[in-house]
Amino acid sequence: MKPPPHADRLLQLFCAPHRLEEVQGDLHEEFAHQLRRVGKQKAQWWYWWGVLGFLKPFAIKRKPSGYSTTNQMNATMISNYFKIARRNLIRNKAFSGLNIAGLALGMACSLLIMLWVQDERSVDGFHANGNRLYQVYERSSYDGKVEAGYMTQGLLADELKRVIPEIEYASGYEGNHLYRSTFEVGEKINKVEGTYAGADFFRMFSYPLVQGTPETALNTPIGVAISRKVAEQFFGNPEKAIGKAIRYENREDLIVTAVFENVPANSSQQFDFLRSWNAYVKENQWVTNWSNTSPHTLVQLRPTADPARVEAKIKDFIYRYKQKDQGSLVELALQSYPEKYLHSTFKNGQIDGGRIEYVRLFSFVAVFILLIACINFMNLATARSTKRAKEVGVRKVVGAVRTALMGQFLGEALLLTFCSILIAVALVAVLLPAFNSLTGKQLFLPFGQPVFWASLLGLLTLTGFVAGSYPALFMSSLSPIRVLKGSLKFSGGATFFRKSLVVFQFSLSIILIVGMIVMYRQMQFVQTKNLGYDRENLVYIPIEGDLVQKYNLFKEEASRMPGIRAVSRMRNSPTVNDHGVSDIGWSGKDPNLWVSFSDELVGFDFVKTMNLKLKEGRDFSREFGADTVSYSGFLLNETALKKIGYQHPIGQPLWWGGRQGTIIGIVKDFHFNSMHEAIQPLVIRLDEKKPYGTILVRTEAGKTREALAGLEKISKELNPNFPFTYQFSDQEYAKLYKSEQVVSQLANSFAVLAIFISCLGLFGLAAFTAEQRTKEIGVRKALGASVASVVTLLSQDFLKLVLIAILIASPLSWYAMTRWLDGFAYKIDIGWWVFALAGFLAIAIALLTVSFQSIKAALVNPVKSLKSE
Amino acid sequence: MKRGYLGEFEEIVLLTVAVMEGGAYGVAITHEICEQTGRAVRLNQVHAALERLEDKGMLKSEMGEPTAERGGRRKRLFTTTAYGRRTLQEIQEVRESFWAKLLNPFRPATSL
Repeated sequence: MKPPPHADRLLQLFCAPHRLEEVQGDLHEEFAHQLRRVGKQKAQWWYWWGVLGFLKPFAIKRKPSGYSTTNQMNATMISNYFKIARRNLIRNKAFSGLNIAGLALGMACSLLIMLWVQDERSVDGFHANGNRLYQVYERSSYDGKVEAGYMTQGLLADELKRVIPEIEYASGYEGNHLYRSTFEVGEKINKVEGTYAGADFFRMFSYPLVQGTPETALNTPIGVAISRKVAEQFFGNPEKAIGKAIRYENREDLIVTAVFENVPANSSQQFDFLRSWNAYVKENQWVTNWSNTSPHTLVQLRPTADPARVEAKIKDFIYRYKQKDQGSLVELALQSYPEKYLHSTFKNGQIDGGRIEYVRLFSFVAVFILLIACINFMNLATARSTKRAKEVGVRKVVGAVRTALMGQFLGEALLLTFCSILIAVALVAVLLPAFNSLTGKQLFLPFGQPVFWASLLGLLTLTGFVAGSYPALFMSSLSPIRVLKGSLKFSGGATFFRKSLVVFQFSLSIILIVGMIVMYRQMQFVQTKNLGYDRENLVYIPIEGDLVQKYNLFKEEASRMPGIRAVSRMRNSPTVNDHGVSDIGWSGKDPNLWVSFSDELVGFDFVKTMNLKLKEGRDFSREFGADTVSYSGFLLNETALKKIGYQHPIGQPLWWGGRQGTIIGIVKDFHFNSMHEAIQPLVIRLDEKKPYGTILVRTEAGKTREALAGLEKISKELNPNFPFTYQFSDQEYAKLYKSEQVVSQLANSFAVLAIFISCLGLFGLAAFTAEQRTKEIGVRKALGASVASVVTLLSQDFLKLVLIAILIASPLSWYAMTRWLDGFAYKIDIGWWVFALAGFLAIAIALLTVSFQSIKAALVNPVKSLKSE
Repeated sequence: MKRGYLGEFEEIVLLTVAVMEGGAYGVAITHEICEQTGRAVRLNQVHAALERLEDKGMLKSEMGEPTAERGGRRKRLFTTTAYGRRTLQEIQEVRESFWAKLLNPFRPATSL
């Protein structure tokens, strides 16, 4: 019977060798004794216990050997390491400069991206109940497709809370668009952005209240919760605001029931006022019909509830309130609220990415750029190793061990990295304002947070080790005999490694260049594509206040103004229309077919004002008296006509929600949503009575200023209680692609940066090669070589590497950019010329970088380079 | 130099070594102390005490014969040095002089 072997091994590991025999012997003897006394199990336990007892200094301490060992780590050696490092830095100013600059740029870029990623990840992370907050989304299957979205029924939140016991709180939230509403107190009139939320809202989300309580903040229809900013604007301070009346849209007087702290920038919900859900229900009668969807529904589960089970429970919840349709299915599902910000795109009814893709993309870019900078360092350090080989040889001869040399070179790398990180932090501090205005964030360097220092330290050691490891391994492996004899030849392996690093660097740069070109072209495409309507010289004015009643008067007066060609109105705006209707009928429709149409309500002269192209039929016009009757005439777009399938559509019947009308015109397809989505079938009817919407004004080219002045005058007359606001169609359209614009611009800067850093490395390598081949060039020139042939000789090595990089990078970048373009329904083709251009750029830049050095080397008088021998 | 001070446990270990007369090594000493004092003594404590006593010059040691139970490993056998024995004696004398001065020696409490 032997004692447990693991315990024995442990003992052998830590116990001092000169003591091991007696200790182990004693333990074994005791084990045998215990085995007889208490049996195997206990004896084994006892043995472990006994071994652990010897984990004491007296048993661990090794016997001094009596010989002195070379101590690499005493004060003299350390100061010598520093001295040598300093001398090397100063002696090769150009190389040190290149190294530090490259690393500093790389790290600055990674730091910026780290800050951005950190900020993106922190969005919505501040809610105390975050792990119990869920957003409800609806998955609907129809017409062979599965789609999902956050739009839900208006009464869903209240019903969920009433019926499902696991749901502690629930709140509706009108999150599709903010209302820019006019508030008025005494003389002060201002537009404030906000929306509607349920009574539980402040109990669920951690928006601290300065005044009022979460229970009473949103429970009356006449109540309104305002932000500290708004309270200060109208009342001076929050204390004075509470309980006061405030005029809303010059329509009703609301009471301030709560004042909340300004919503932090890292919240995905942004609002300056909130009105209660009772008011929402009152103002939106359609919510009682469970076929209609618009607001978001947010729930908070009880601490004991299992989200998966709740999800299963509410799956068919909708059918408690409405009949199942033929051919369509609507299900509810839950998504963790703090995750929603980064994961909010749906594909086939499942959550599939969102902003997280950009977070990942940029994290990769950060790592790549840092890697490129590290590779520079490795390349320069190993290429220059001939210069320091003698030092290594001498050190080894006088007794340096390999680990000490590795430590020395790693330490030098860390020292350089340290210099670079100082510069990098300074760079970031300088660049942050510009970066913030580009990304629309409020990032800052959090010097007060230990986490920041820890991550700086992490970045420092990581970069230092990655950059320094290969040189350290390589230099410390040199054999002193060969080095000191002067016969140092690099093995094929080292050269190959260096070359592959250059190829890798340039591949990454080329991928970034291709990304830059494709993104730029897609943005150009989106911005300049013919949308089917004319977005130049088109002005939007919101219909609010007295304009609701006086729209016709406004139109009449505006049409007489100089510089205005046509006036019309629509419920949404031409740039975004997220409204849909499913009960459109036509003769010969398959009763099982379930098609969703986009719908729009417009005014007279809509086609004329928008500059749409009519394929057949006519615009809504006052000349046809019958048009004024609701649901009497419909306009369709071509896609809708294809769905319906009428051969001669004009005059044919169409049913909208059971009401029959006739088709009066077919407009050519135009984009009424962003290019991410394909054009949907669209049906348009006349409705000039809606109490909200957008007035469209078509101005004459070049007369915008006069037109706006006129419009402001009319607006002041007809709608004195509302400030005159307007938007330009082309600007609103550009806003649709804001995040793509930002990404495209960031990609530009990063691509430029990556190439610049790569070139720094290439520049250094070229300089070094030229220096090494001075004699060779001298001999060649003495024998009659021309400058051109010498330059070619020196450049072609690098050109080969860049060519290989192009071959590797092209398919990779093609794949990546195809994935990116998949997000657009309307997109450019990536032609072969994109890769050719990127490759050409890379070659040109590489040549420029290298040629400076090679021409310099080729021009040197051979007498000079040869006389020293 | 004045004699080295001994801790209570060290004194017992030293005494045990003296009593065992040449047969004293780690496990044997541990068992002996356990039997005589009824304390639960651990092997590592005894080893540590032996180490200290040897440092102080009160014990000396040499490697003994291996046994099968020990997996063929030798014992380290301890014997007291003259210095060690004198120290024990001095301790004993100090104690006895105190006991002699005790006016009212304790009697075993046979009855109350």
